[in-house]
Amino acid sequence: MFAAAPWNNSAILFGVRFWFLAAICLGVFAASVMFAQLPTANSPQQPVQSPAQQPSQTLPAPVQQAAPAIRVGPVIVIDAAHGGTDTGARGAGSTVEKDVVLTFARLTRAELDRQGFHVVMTRTDDSNPSYDDRAAIANAHRDAVFISLHVSSTGTPGIARVYSYLFSTTVPISPPSSGLVPWNEAQQPYTDTSHRLADILQLELAQRFTGSPAVSEAVPIRELRSIAAPAVAIEMSSVSVTDPHTLTAFAPPLVTAIARGLLIYRPTNATGAP
Amino acid sequence: MPTNLKLVLVILGAAVLVGLISLHGLNQRVEQLGEPKTSDDRARRDLLAAPISTSSDVKSKTRIFWAAGADKTAPVEVDLELSSNATVRAKQVLHALVTDPPTPEQRTLPADATLLGFYVLPDGTAIADFSQALASQTPSGILSEELAVDSIVRTLRGNVSTLKRLKILIHGQEMDTLAGHVDLTGFFDLSPATPPGDGGRTSGKTTGASYPAQASP
Repeated sequence: MFAAAPWNNSAILFGVRFWFLAAICLGVFAASVMFAQLPTANSPQQPVQSPAQQPSQTLPAPVQQAAPAIRVGPVIVIDAAHGGTDTGARGAGSTVEKDVVLTFARLTRAELDRQGFHVVMTRTDDSNPSYDDRAAIANAHRDAVFISLHVSSTGTPGIARVYSYLFSTTVPISPPSSGLVPWNEAQQPYTDTSHRLADILQLELAQRFTGSPAVSEAVPIRELRSIAAPAVAIEMSSVSVTDPHTLTAFAPPLVTAIARGLLIYRPTNATGAP
Repeated sequence: MPTNLKLVLVILGAAVLVGLISLHGLNQRVEQLGEPKTSDDRARRDLLAAPISTSSDVKSKTRIFWAAGADKTAPVEVDLELSSNATVRAKQVLHALVTDPPTPEQRTLPADATLLGFYVLPDGTAIADFSQALASQTPSGILSEELAVDSIVRTLRGNVSTLKRLKILIHGQEMDTLAGHVDLTGFFDLSPATPPGDGGRTSGKTTGASYPAQASP
């Protein structure tokens, strides 16, 4: 049956070898590309854009202080919520929460950097670290403060709310016999400190965003649960605004409030430990 | 042509043939799998759409917690036929919470959400299994998700006193969050020890242990 084939043997062999080699080359190329994109061990703390790299995002200087040469105090972990395929809240047009909070996070980082804080971000691009990945970044530091930034779907625009985690009391947390803290209960020892930080930040935000509550709330927010450090979530209302520039305009007072709140919080919580 | 090459070509030809046949079969299976899910969901909805009633039902004033503004829930008193059985009673009040908000603005749960199941364990743990619509149609955000869970928790706490805590499942599964924020891996306190509406917080601190922290209605 093969005798009738129009090709000779050497041509067929050449073809088979060619495609075999091509497949190997393609595989090697794909593997090298994938390897190059793998996160490195310290990738969560990769350097982020410096303030100088963001000329379009300028902020007023709320507290005029030169950045100290030696950075002391807690490591501030700024978490831009969502990312990647998880867009978060969707507003009119192309406004999505993940983009707005990333802008907020970058501006907050720039301001806190200027204030002399050591700042780490959970994401600096359109990636979507898992809850555990985000917690791991915070938990890698002995003295950290975790601030997660959100924008709501609903609610009156221009209202800022601060939340800390609330554990159910019907499930008593038994002290670990091994000395290890269960990952899902890591926030438990820090709830009081988190409440205190949340209230300080809420007070600062209430002064800048009229109509915001005066005290923070305790709500079980998943991404705060595994943070072994004082941890809060700040949610601005809302992506429902018709003009996207309205949300951008919230950034300066938001960043100022966070910076001032942390300056107030820092002296009274030297270690951040409960 | 060498025998080995013939063999390789025959095997490759057979593999392509098998691939084409199985691809067609797989396509049919995928289509078949899609159909029962839809009809199953529809059947559940039809079943649950029927009024939940028992012979022991008594008409009583019931406090259902719907939205009162953008950021809190407040009780609205309605007349409902309620059973003395805790499980049935819980189903009845949750059914009313989803289906009968006085105005669209007071709605806290998506209209398409249905309670697929409700069970009470001997220790007072209630398990509420909602349809996927609760997760997929609740607006993403701490505030909106808190409002949704708050209305469920306070409605149950106010009307079924024997329940101690609540676990929320979505289509029979434990979910990380409701719509990206509020934690569904844990339990929500239903204990009447903390009166509903006290907010659970004083001077910015959690005091009583009750989810959630809300302003008094």
